Amino acid sequence: MSKLFFDHLLKLDDVNIFIKKSASSTEEHKELIDLVDNIVTTNVLDKILSKLDKKDHEEFLALFHKCPHDEIQIFAYLNTKTGKDINKVLEQELKDFSKEILSELTK
Amino acid sequence: MTQPAKKTYLKFEQEKINSEFLRNKLKLKNLETKKSFNEKYPHVEKFFAEKGIDLAKIREHSAKVITTGALTGTLLFNPPLIVDGNSVVKNIVKNVSDLKLGISSIPEQENLLNLINQILPEKIGPLNRSQEKNLEQIFKEILNINTKASLEGEHLNTTYGYIGAEQHLMRYPGDTMATHPKIPEKDEGMAPGRGAWGYFAYSKSQMTESDVDREKWYAVVQTLYLPDWAKRQPYLRDWYKYRKVLVLNTINGNAVVADIADSGPAAWTGKHFGGSPEVMNYLGGSRYKKGPVLLFFVDDPYNQVPLGPVEYNKIEEMGIELKRA
Repeated sequence: MSKLFFDHLLKLDDVNIFIKKSASSTEEHKELIDLVDNIVTTNVLDKILSKLDKKDHEEFLALFHKCPHDEIQIFAYLNTKTGKDINKVLEQELKDFSKEILSELTK
Repeated sequence: MTQPAKKTYLKFEQEKINSEFLRNKLKLKNLETKKSFNEKYPHVEKFFAEKGIDLAKIREHSAKVITTGALTGTLLFNPPLIVDGNSVVKNIVKNVSDLKLGISSIPEQENLLNLINQILPEKIGPLNRSQEKNLEQIFKEILNINTKASLEGEHLNTTYGYIGAEQHLMRYPGDTMATHPKIPEKDEGMAPGRGAWGYFAYSKSQMTESDVDREKWYAVVQTLYLPDWAKRQPYLRDWYKYRKVLVLNTINGNAVVADIADSGPAAWTGKHFGGSPEVMNYLGGSRYKKGPVLLFFVDDPYNQVPLGPVEYNKIEEMGIELKRA
């Protein structure tokens, strides 16, 4: 399974359509999807790490490494450490992510 | 009259440049993002390096963790609501017998929903083998369709996930929406490219009824994320091409037998499967664009199971109100 704990927060259908339209082969489509995936993963991790104390980074990374798919465990951990509903916070922050990527790709 | 060769060539080049342009843009953006991230969090890069993982390969790592969990039956993130599979199986047998004897007045579709709801976890995601086996039995008893989560050793990354609406696929070179069948309302139109397995026929004149059905009732699965997809080519590509699957809407029980004709969707769309306009229309109506489904391979070695709706019950005609998907 390719699931990461924050997948449910990503709504990048427009980027998907854009890529599908541009890719000239299945292989290229896969390559483009992977590139977007890397950008998205790095961005989400950046947003999460910026909300944690640096001393907690290693603990979070260990949990992420142990169960990268487990949204229940990881969000419970993040909520405890930050005192916020991180799921909601990220949902808000990632709301315009699709538009941001598209505008970068088309400029 | 045919188009001059020069123009065709130029058009092709232009498409290639656009595609190349996009790839380069994404590569550049990816490098910039990674560089800035590593500068900001050098300890993160160090952490993953010590674990022998490249952050770019984190999905592969996730796949390994989940597969190991599923094999050892320790999917703690996804606990089954019913641990005792036997009680579910007993219920299935009893409920089906009651229906056959006319004792039960519960419609089959409602019966099926009651049973699967005893098995499905709260969170949508991969199921364990015991859950999948129970579901296979339910499908066999109620829908009379032999299904397998694992068929001939092949298993999708998940059998329980979100399906999203896809567009029609080009069936042959030159196919357009002008002649392509549509759903009555809110049709999604046609995808600009071909499906992962190319055209269904070489030309309009070579289209068979089977090709028409294959496009009409197609499903999309994430072959692109199968851990061994690249290593086991061309076997997997051929194995998945037009492979029949049962797609069941877990909210209302509507079910369709579809064939796999494209690869996707990307994980960052929040969806795990895709359905043609006709598949989605049957599963949940013209407004249905995304919803939870079960997707199992159909074990049909003699090609006897037709593609299309599984009309095992007309629950809406019986006045039973179901939650909207």
